[in-house]
Amino acid sequence: MTIAIVKYGMGNVASVQKVLKKLGYSSIITDSHSEIKQSDLILLPGVGSFKQGMENLNNYGLLDLLTKEVLINKKPFIGICLGMQLLATYGNEPEKVAGLGWIDGEVVKIESPKGLRIPHLGWNTLNTSSSKELYISSSQKDYYFIHSYHFKVDNPDVVTFTVNYDGEIAAALQKDNIYAMQFHPEKSQQVGMDLLKKIIDQYA
Amino acid sequence: MLKCRVIPILTFNGFALVKSKEFGSNARMVGNAIQAAKVYNSRNVDELVFLDIYASDKKRKINLQLARLIINECFMPVALGGGIKSLKDIEDLLAIGADKVVLKSKIIEDPEFINEASVVYGNQCITLAIDAIKKEDGLYYLYNSINKEIPLFEFLEEIKEYNFGEIILTSVNNDGMMNGFDIELVKKVEKIIKVPIVVAGGAGEPSHFKQLFFNTNIEAVAASSIFHFTRYTPRDIKLAIQDTGKPVRILDQNHIPFN
Repeated sequence: MTIAIVKYGMGNVASVQKVLKKLGYSSIITDSHSEIKQSDLILLPGVGSFKQGMENLNNYGLLDLLTKEVLINKKPFIGICLGMQLLATYGNEPEKVAGLGWIDGEVVKIESPKGLRIPHLGWNTLNTSSSKELYISSSQKDYYFIHSYHFKVDNPDVVTFTVNYDGEIAAALQKDNIYAMQFHPEKSQQVGMDLLKKIIDQYA
Repeated sequence: MLKCRVIPILTFNGFALVKSKEFGSNARMVGNAIQAAKVYNSRNVDELVFLDIYASDKKRKINLQLARLIINECFMPVALGGGIKSLKDIEDLLAIGADKVVLKSKIIEDPEFINEASVVYGNQCITLAIDAIKKEDGLYYLYNSINKEIPLFEFLEEIKEYNFGEIILTSVNNDGMMNGFDIELVKKVEKIIKVPIVVAGGAGEPSHFKQLFFNTNIEAVAASSIFHFTRYTPRDIKLAIQDTGKPVRILDQNHIPFN
């Protein structure tokens, strides 16, 4: 299988490819429509601001293509960090803009009444209330987070992992063929690689 | 629960890893950067910081080829710094896989650069190196190589609303001395700065970390000499921090690299 890592000018695509290679998957970093269409799985990484991310997807001509491949053709999709947030109906970084809208909800700034430092930065434990083996086996371990905004979903059923940072916030989501993670599995050493492998191997 | 981070800092002189004392220019050679990255990766450290400490003074850029080789060894986040003066410099480092860039000299000349950089790349990847020196008058100043007298806390008040994701706070007086952290300095800075703070400068033994974590609310610490010159590992440090009741990430098994 071939994984298309979407290139849209939003950050660290090299790290994702390094980890996929280590796990033995073939991947391409691409913004080519034909390569994305031919791929077996689409991975959307990304760091930076929500607004810039949407503008870049638009400028690269990828909005309609990704929506068609993922929502209509049901191609497996993994979004990481900003690549998760962009799935929301709206984002707010730096101002309110529409997102891809694949998962209902809004991306808002993390609030900490206790005055915890923001960004939420470092290694934190994933909690799950899912009954799926995939999520149970990867929970209660530490993964690397770095973010100032979080995804407030409308339907809590799509939340697969939460993380506690002055309250539980969504750390990962799944809706059908769409997997999304706020943390960085590609930066989370062995546990991150294990989780990516479990998700990808469902489709291999 | 968010874990306290323990971060080795690798300082580089353009050719080899070096370790300075009090930011002096006669730093001691301590080995090969790629080898060190490999070892820290095998030890599952929380993050790694790699700094070319003479880049700005020598007016050179960080060696991208070497930086790429270091990053290739690392499956944890890596911050790179040294001689960053433009958005292009940041882009070059992010393109080879850096997760954060560390800004220092440039923000003294031009603090607006912080926001120019974060609006493009996001504040999460913009780390500021704040080097504090306590002078004979007993006051703290921002260490700089252009001989400008900058009172530290005034500078921090001025930049605190800028859009950056983290600072690395280093005590110049304690750098390489291995006599413990400057806790008075940390306590003052943590009241001003609201983003995560990485404290550096002075670690020589695990008890120093206990003192730091017991007396402050910081969540990240960096060290260099203790890893180069003693038998202590990042795991030993984490066990010491755990003794103060703070959470740390300790993995059961380390994987041993074969080459």
